[in-house]
Amino acid sequence: MSSAVVRWGVRRPEMLGLGALLLAGGLLAAVGTRLLTGPLAVLALGTVFASIVALVVVATMGTPETRRKIAPYGLLKPGMLWLALFYLAPLFTLLRLSLSTLPSRFAVEANFDWNFDNYVTAFTDFGPQFQRAFMYSGIATILTIAIGYPLAYVIAFRGGKFRNLLLGLVVIPFFTSYLIRTIAWRSILSDNGIATGMIGKFRLTWMLETMGMMDNGRLINTPAAVIFGLTYNFLPFMILPIYVSLEKVDVRLVDAAKDLYSTSTSAFRKVVVPLSLPGVFAGTLLTFIPAAGDFVNALYLGSPNTTMIGNSIQDQFLVQNNVPLASAMSFVLMLIITVFVIIYSRFFGTEDLA
Amino acid sequence: MTTRRPNPFTGPRSAMTRRQLLMRAGALGAAGMTLPAFLAACGSDGGSGASATTPGTTPGTTPGTTPGGGGAGGSLFFENWPSYIDPTEDGATGTVDRFKEATGIDMRYTEAYNDNNEYFAKIQPLLGRGEPIDPDIIAPTSWLANRLIRLEWLDKLPLDQVPNAANLRADLQNPAWDPTGEYSLPWQTGFAGIAYNSDATGREITSVDDLFDPEFAGKVGALTEMRDTIGVIAMSLGIDISTLTTFDEAKPAFDKLQEAKDSGQIRRFHGNDYFDDLSNGNLAITIGWSGDVAAIARDNPAVKFVFPESGATSWADTMVLPKGAKNVAQAAEWMNFVYDPVQAAQITAWVGYVSPVDGVQDEVAKLDPDLANDPLVFPDDATLANTQGFAPLAEDVEAEYDAAFSAITGA
Repeated sequence: MSSAVVRWGVRRPEMLGLGALLLAGGLLAAVGTRLLTGPLAVLALGTVFASIVALVVVATMGTPETRRKIAPYGLLKPGMLWLALFYLAPLFTLLRLSLSTLPSRFAVEANFDWNFDNYVTAFTDFGPQFQRAFMYSGIATILTIAIGYPLAYVIAFRGGKFRNLLLGLVVIPFFTSYLIRTIAWRSILSDNGIATGMIGKFRLTWMLETMGMMDNGRLINTPAAVIFGLTYNFLPFMILPIYVSLEKVDVRLVDAAKDLYSTSTSAFRKVVVPLSLPGVFAGTLLTFIPAAGDFVNALYLGSPNTTMIGNSIQDQFLVQNNVPLASAMSFVLMLIITVFVIIYSRFFGTEDLA
Repeated sequence: MTTRRPNPFTGPRSAMTRRQLLMRAGALGAAGMTLPAFLAACGSDGGSGASATTPGTTPGTTPGTTPGGGGAGGSLFFENWPSYIDPTEDGATGTVDRFKEATGIDMRYTEAYNDNNEYFAKIQPLLGRGEPIDPDIIAPTSWLANRLIRLEWLDKLPLDQVPNAANLRADLQNPAWDPTGEYSLPWQTGFAGIAYNSDATGREITSVDDLFDPEFAGKVGALTEMRDTIGVIAMSLGIDISTLTTFDEAKPAFDKLQEAKDSGQIRRFHGNDYFDDLSNGNLAITIGWSGDVAAIARDNPAVKFVFPESGATSWADTMVLPKGAKNVAQAAEWMNFVYDPVQAAQITAWVGYVSPVDGVQDEVAKLDPDLANDPLVFPDDATLANTQGFAPLAEDVEAEYDAAFSAITGA
């Protein structure tokens, strides 16, 4: 029997690999979304397992040509199956939930009935929260570039033997929980805390109030505090990718630019910056996307007037028990972010990533 | 409901599929569908039995009965709010340890109950499907206990095994949230009123209007517990919160809160986590709970609790058995234990809330005479007359209240 497979495989091994991949991924996603339950689910899981075994059999017993052509699909399989079960299936479940209606307020199961009202409500009732989420995370992303780029530059080009130590220092905050770091800022920024005290001592209160960074003599529970928290928490995600792309830049390219009568500034602008753009691009994605959905900073550093869409989604899920609406809001958030990312990658993306 | 209802989730397995059962359990929870109708629905399906069993329950655990550990001993799991019982410290033996010693019951006591809404969201997927949760006793606030009773997610208390339940304060018998008194025993009760830091306010506070004083702009807090925040404000507007039946009756209170939030008067809405902010003056004035403030005041005498002139809300946190609780006999022993005034006094002396148990004042007087005269812990009749409990709300009305409140808290 195996010889039959191999003979067929010689002709179209890539089709066999692709077919097995899609079949297994589709079945796993169907089990994950509970489209297939009971004995059917067992059958589906058995088929997935059999397709893996078949792939291994073909890969070990096939001709070199077959093995070469089938290898990419075999290597794709673990990742594809993982995504099918833990990404596609939840995504589909979320989509389905977002179009469902709860038969009663505390019902466990929502009924799927193409209820687009959830999306209408998500848009009409939560406009300010969406706006704040994108404004705060956008400003925070720009700030992380402004702070992170010079830092990454210094570490990459001037770090010398201290490079690894400096990188380690960038990562060190991760040794403490995200929550604890954010809550710690509450006491640092509190009305009678260190930060406010210093600002008062140097008589900067008036200046910061004018800039809108303080409100009525307080730092915390203001939009500025939320943006600051986001910037602080996501800074390492900006520094590390920028560092990686800067580190790859060959210093001799700068020398070459200077040999061609470039000033240091234009060498930086025309050589270093374009080469580091993939890092900035990756850093922006790593910062902006999670920051837009973040609720921790707004929860602990914000006020009732600074809530972001993440807080609203959490509230709808956990307090209002309105799972369909919360799902619709999550989906809208995902869609807006996707649109942003597509536009962004069109304009700034590089071949490396976009 | 005077006789114990058969548990619709036990009994022989029927041919009903999981999905059908879930749909019906959901419909049952939707209120309006009575038990006979539910059973009829099961039967009409041609199932082998008149009732359905719960898929997912492990065999051998029979909800509603008391297997225990065989005779004396056994185990018990109580999930309560944080800092809500006297711990074993400074040479004193805490109530949990005294109970373990007295009964030989292996008790697990956790403090994972932090917020009514969050806890409800946590148990809903299980209890809503008729599956049991781990804790044998949980501590919902009265309004949530009322919701759980209406959803039929609770088992009745074995009150015949709790003789000390006779010590329950008269005003808590057959309360509005549990009219038959069969599902809940109060754990502690208390008040929500105004908490303030006199260093930060610079003056004594007497009225709810002070919350809206522009002088304190950005230094005012309020509780995320809708019934306490809206209740206190509504009472200051002359609204009787114990008889609310529609949203419109309480709307002026929501409007007032909305206005204060929009103007930046309110710094944040908080749950249990306002001690630091109040103590260090980030919050000058807030709506807070009586016992908490008593605890903060021990460290910082500037922090004070006041019954507003217009009145305070009264509430109760209860002990209830989630449907399918395994260790019912042990739970009864525990309730009996903490309803003994001698034991209850130990808890009161530590937590500083109002005990639901009669005779505690005399016992506390032996431990701490000052506390026995504390009007926050043992309020006199005049004070009690100026407090109101929030009316139990119908499901759709409650949804309106919750939606309006969460629109204000900004979430």
